[in-house]
Amino acid sequence: MKPLNYKKQLLIILLSIFTLSCEEMVELDPPSNQLIREEVFNNEATVKSAMTGIYNELFQLDFSNGYRSSVTTLAGLSADNISNISTTNLSRMEFEQNEVNPDNPDNLNIWSSAYNMIYITNSFLEGINNSQVLDQDFKKQMDGQARFVRAFTYFYLVNLYGDVPLILSTDYRENQLAFRTPKNEIYDQILLDLQQAEEELSSDYVTGERTQVNRFTVKALMARFYLYTENWSKAEELSGHLIAENGTYKLQDDLNEVFLANSKEAIWQISPIGGNGISTQTNEGNFFIIDPIFSFFAAIRLQEDFVEQFDTEDLRLLNWIGYNESKNAHFIYKYKIWNSTEYPIREYSMVLRLAEQYLIRSEARAMQNNIAGAISDLDIIRQRAGLNLLADLNPTIEQAELLNEIFLQRRKELFAEWGHRWLDLKRSDRTSEALEDENPYWEDTDLLYPIPETERIKNPNLTQNEGY
Amino acid sequence: MKNFYKRGMLIIMFLLAMALLVMLAMGQAKAATPYSPTLFYQQPITGAITNTNGKSLPGVTVLIKNKQYGTNTDLSGNYSINANSQDTLVVTSIGYKDQEIGINGRSIINVILKEDIASLNEVEINAGYYTTTQRERTGNISRVTAEEIENQPVVSPIQALQGRMAGVEIISGGANPGMASTIRIRGTNSLRKDGNYPLYIIDGVPISSEPVASNSLLSTSGIDPLNNLNPANIESIEVLKDADATAIYGSRGSNGVVLITTKSGFQYGTGLEARVYTGVSKVPGRMDLLNTEEYLQVRREAFQNDEVEPDVNNAYDLVLWNQERYTDWQEYLFGGNSEVTNVNLSFSGGNESTSFRLGGTYFTQGTVYPGDYDYRKGTGNMALNHLSKDNKFQLNLKLNYGTDRNNLVGNGNLDPSIILLPPNAPSIFNEETALNWEEWGEAGLTNPFEGFYNTTNTQTKNLTSNVLLSYEIFPGLKLKSSLGYTDYQSDELWRLPARSYNPSNNPVNNSFHLTTGRRSWIIEPQLTYNKGFNKFQTEFLLGGTLQRNKSTLSSFQGSGYASEALIGNLSSAESILNAKSSETKYKYAAIFSRIGLNWDKKYFLNFTARRDGSSRFGPNNRFANFGAVGAAWIISEEEFLKSNLSFLSFAKLRGSYGSTGNDQIGDYGYLDSYQATRGINGLYPTSLANPDYSWEVNRKLEAALQLGFLNDRINLGLSWYRNRSSNQLVGYSLPYITGFTSVQANLPATVENQGLEIELATLNLDKKNFSWRSNLNITIPKNELISYPDLEQSSYSNTYRVGYPLNIGLLYKYEGLDPETGLYTVKDINNDGKLDFEDRVIIKDLNRQFFGGISNNLNYRNFNLQFLFQFVKQEGIQTNFQAGINKNVLSSVLDNDRYQRYSASFLGGTAYRNVLESSFPYQDASFLRLKTLSLSYDLSSKMLDRMNLRKVQLFLHGQNLWTITPYTGLDPELATSDLSVGNLRSITAGLQFNL
Repeated sequence: MKPLNYKKQLLIILLSIFTLSCEEMVELDPPSNQLIREEVFNNEATVKSAMTGIYNELFQLDFSNGYRSSVTTLAGLSADNISNISTTNLSRMEFEQNEVNPDNPDNLNIWSSAYNMIYITNSFLEGINNSQVLDQDFKKQMDGQARFVRAFTYFYLVNLYGDVPLILSTDYRENQLAFRTPKNEIYDQILLDLQQAEEELSSDYVTGERTQVNRFTVKALMARFYLYTENWSKAEELSGHLIAENGTYKLQDDLNEVFLANSKEAIWQISPIGGNGISTQTNEGNFFIIDPIFSFFAAIRLQEDFVEQFDTEDLRLLNWIGYNESKNAHFIYKYKIWNSTEYPIREYSMVLRLAEQYLIRSEARAMQNNIAGAISDLDIIRQRAGLNLLADLNPTIEQAELLNEIFLQRRKELFAEWGHRWLDLKRSDRTSEALEDENPYWEDTDLLYPIPETERIKNPNLTQNEGY
Repeated sequence: MKNFYKRGMLIIMFLLAMALLVMLAMGQAKAATPYSPTLFYQQPITGAITNTNGKSLPGVTVLIKNKQYGTNTDLSGNYSINANSQDTLVVTSIGYKDQEIGINGRSIINVILKEDIASLNEVEINAGYYTTTQRERTGNISRVTAEEIENQPVVSPIQALQGRMAGVEIISGGANPGMASTIRIRGTNSLRKDGNYPLYIIDGVPISSEPVASNSLLSTSGIDPLNNLNPANIESIEVLKDADATAIYGSRGSNGVVLITTKSGFQYGTGLEARVYTGVSKVPGRMDLLNTEEYLQVRREAFQNDEVEPDVNNAYDLVLWNQERYTDWQEYLFGGNSEVTNVNLSFSGGNESTSFRLGGTYFTQGTVYPGDYDYRKGTGNMALNHLSKDNKFQLNLKLNYGTDRNNLVGNGNLDPSIILLPPNAPSIFNEETALNWEEWGEAGLTNPFEGFYNTTNTQTKNLTSNVLLSYEIFPGLKLKSSLGYTDYQSDELWRLPARSYNPSNNPVNNSFHLTTGRRSWIIEPQLTYNKGFNKFQTEFLLGGTLQRNKSTLSSFQGSGYASEALIGNLSSAESILNAKSSETKYKYAAIFSRIGLNWDKKYFLNFTARRDGSSRFGPNNRFANFGAVGAAWIISEEEFLKSNLSFLSFAKLRGSYGSTGNDQIGDYGYLDSYQATRGINGLYPTSLANPDYSWEVNRKLEAALQLGFLNDRINLGLSWYRNRSSNQLVGYSLPYITGFTSVQANLPATVENQGLEIELATLNLDKKNFSWRSNLNITIPKNELISYPDLEQSSYSNTYRVGYPLNIGLLYKYEGLDPETGLYTVKDINNDGKLDFEDRVIIKDLNRQFFGGISNNLNYRNFNLQFLFQFVKQEGIQTNFQAGINKNVLSSVLDNDRYQRYSASFLGGTAYRNVLESSFPYQDASFLRLKTLSLSYDLSSKMLDRMNLRKVQLFLHGQNLWTITPYTGLDPELATSDLSVGNLRSITAGLQFNL
């Protein structure tokens, strides 16, 4: 028996060595160009890089980059300020004609890039909240910024598509068959994120760059949020906070300086530093300006009847609107730099600025029948535009008329910025009135963009919006 | 002209070099004498051995009957042996009938051997870790040999296999040299597009079959990793298909295995072979498009129909552009001729213990596109075999090195849709031979040749090497070790000079650099033991594999070069941008074994098994087992058949069942990780992670019958297979709301590939001076998604249907033209007023219904004619019928009431897009194609003797000469897209000589 036992033992030893080494034979370290998520969130430096990653990606992702498939361009086309120069780009024509098909590629770009940003922020939030080693104060600063970006992204999703799936985790198993969440629940979540961010964040721009989100950035979006949800007193209160912070935020007297990097008027900007590293101009500058010599690339023009709305002495007409002879077209000239490789970067893409806060407060006051207060806020904007003050012209203006004037000023002040006009028309029920005449295809169901077709193929639980 | 001159010079240089080598080698050739055994008391007998067509046969065994010694013929087919005048010579050679010849006092005996199809069944077949024969194999292995490959003017040897093997579907990657073909062995097993590559093994060393990344025009298909192999240096290619043959490759055998064996040295003297061919290729087909007059007429009618006034923005072609101008954009884009030249040289020699082979080739091919671009490759190879005196120790060394350089226009815009430009579109270049921006710009368009001056230069280098050491410890027991090393590198420089781009954008000179590396080593120790007990023969194999792969990819951009000439010189770039690099490692370990049993060469059993570990899976799922059993019964060896059915010369029943796997899923997919953003100093997640996915398992079943009739003049093989691939490992498609479009995961789905393969080989005529052989193969495949629990709830609910193939179109029902609007209508099945997937009720099978090839080989005296017809039954798509918009269309739309009225309107466009998603654009795209035609003439032995040469052959070769098809797109082989061209028509002529 004994020899057999030895043999058996030997066999067992040999086998176990083989099994052990087998495990090792196929074990690998992570590749050099990837960092495991857990490790990213174990160290302040890499967490900061991940936050920078979020800001960088806002300049890359379609919905927020100010380029061809951005909210600025596409929602702009849906409204009545801008239009396509050539009719050959069918996808953009669908936006202009308010006939967006469910298979429209630009529509898919908005949707997919916004949800990619939702994932990135969710991943970031999970990362810092699961981390055991990060300092609490540091965590709060990071948490607040990411929550703001998530709320900001949902704000556009819900305004463009209505009910959308509310995704708050990175677990694809759970999320892939998500149903659409009612609009008011999305709004609840946006408010929750904003309130928490407001609590957590400090009031200054730590890096000195207005590309970083701070407490006032959050308040600015909250002011807009309350305006859209018709909580007038809250809207007045929060915009008031920004207006009162006049050490940090001031309207630029010179309209040509509004869109400069870190301009006094900026509350939040996106820097082209998130781009490819070569070009340092904003996408808005590159896409909207019609260069006098090379006009044939031009894609977007201002609608003539919009340009005609401006008084001839309106400084915004003189400074923010250009004209190209060969195309016989007016173009958006808020950003001045069409092409640049210069550092430091001169212009940043504007997301939130103080002028909007004046207009928010004016509207909120008007809705609360504080006509004088509304006029004084509106006149700040009119004054900078070189217009006579409403307080002088018509201090006893009726509320309805005043609101019309506020919406007109919003249109003239905020054109070609983040789809303001489209969202303003929608929330004030002015859409049909504004679009019916010029657009034979107009239907009320065009207020919401369709849920992209491929998305519905992959997630059968997603219902389509009415009319598609 | 410049090219021609270069080519001429090259051939002259080559011929000079040849002449020199000839003189050197002559001495050698004469000095070499065949091996002869110890002398006894005999006289020398000499002679030449030829086949019925007078071709010298080297390497034929000449034995003295009942004695223990013999010899082989040398490279000229001559032998010399010492024998007693009463002895009998036994002359044997594989593929020929044995002959016994009494010496009867003669001293010169010339022998003519007759071909023997039956003995072809004895040819050794490479099964990877072991060898078998056609007669005795238990698995399904197809084989193609040098003869069928070497004359084809193709870049990658894979292209030479088209139509030659049952069950093997090869689809060309495109018209540019070097593009990777798609190869599918017994259908699509994996739902994942990248999960269907077979395993490539060159001389025992696995290499990645995944196409190599490129930024160039090759990017659509990728670069074929076999480009650097010299097709003329391939001895044979075996394709392993069923479980019995592939299970020993375990987790990598699911999609079949392609074994490539390169040539070894001769054992019987020294010889030199040179072959040169040259010729031209062009795009064979054209689409029948409108001319200017017809086009403009259609456009004008479209605007009338739409009641829209043409203006500069919507009708620049009518309002702005010259109404007379005509450009045939097809001719303009791909009307050119591509020249091809190949020079091949090899030198081989040896004796019974040591042999070697050295070879090299130079190949160049142009492109059919405008501009001066070409592909060049040079390869070198070496083989060395040594067998020790006691026959115990054996060494086989194979080295293959290849380098190629592909210069192409670096313009991704150069896509085939250029041929649909309006025929009166402005010229591409202005008088100063710069790109014409102004005239295109007036219409709001970019010059479609934007980027024309961009170039890509892709250079790849590939070394594949293998040493096989083997030692016989005692008779029957061998210890072997196979050591392999491969090193592949691809360097690509993409130059983008500013003048390629519209000056309005202030373009700067740019360069993109892409470097890909794939390095691997493998060690495979093996122990084999063969033992016979009377009629019972056993073969055992036990082995292990240890493999490491490292793939690297780095890319960056150089920008702002001061001048065009400096592009690519990084020190003169203003900035280096977008630098990216990745390094992935793959570790793999396995043990495998085989037991082969047979009783009396009549009953065969073959067991194979493998335990695999792969680093591609998460820590909990790294190991798995695979195995198969195969059996064969040679019925014709049974007495009852032998005596009763004499016309039946051979009959074998064969079957196998087993499992293989698939680990082609990319590396590190289980890690939840962050990478650097494109913008500065950021990190972000780039994919979803799933730590738990595991192997895809493919269970294969096969039953087959092999029959030989009339002394094996007719051989018929029938194989039925059923492969079920389950636990589908895919980039599981997800909606964007999850953040990304896919994640790696196992799907609870089963894909079945079932099919019938018919192979028929016949010797139609076998007369003196004339023989004719034919081979036919047909594959009737069937692909089906047989189960998918909860498909409706999954992300694939609108992509797949249970009970149908994977490759289907879900289509609307076409309802004809709307009588009021004249536009296409498709049916809104559920009447909900909108068209969506609920209305796509037509399920269209987009697979090939059957495919195959018929090859013929005719010999008449010194002439040899070979030709191969390839045939495919399938449907394809034709989409160029949207008449009225600013694109050219098929001329068949003119006044044809099958199509909607001409319209440039939005509604017309919507109707067109809807009808594209119906069965309307589908048409029969079956084709019969004369794939290869090869005619050769060998100089007669008499003349050869006078010239002191062993062989001189002149040959003419044609590729894709003729195609019949009802398909109206450019190439029926790529009928899923009407604008794709995959096959050039080539004619080459060449010369081969051996000394």
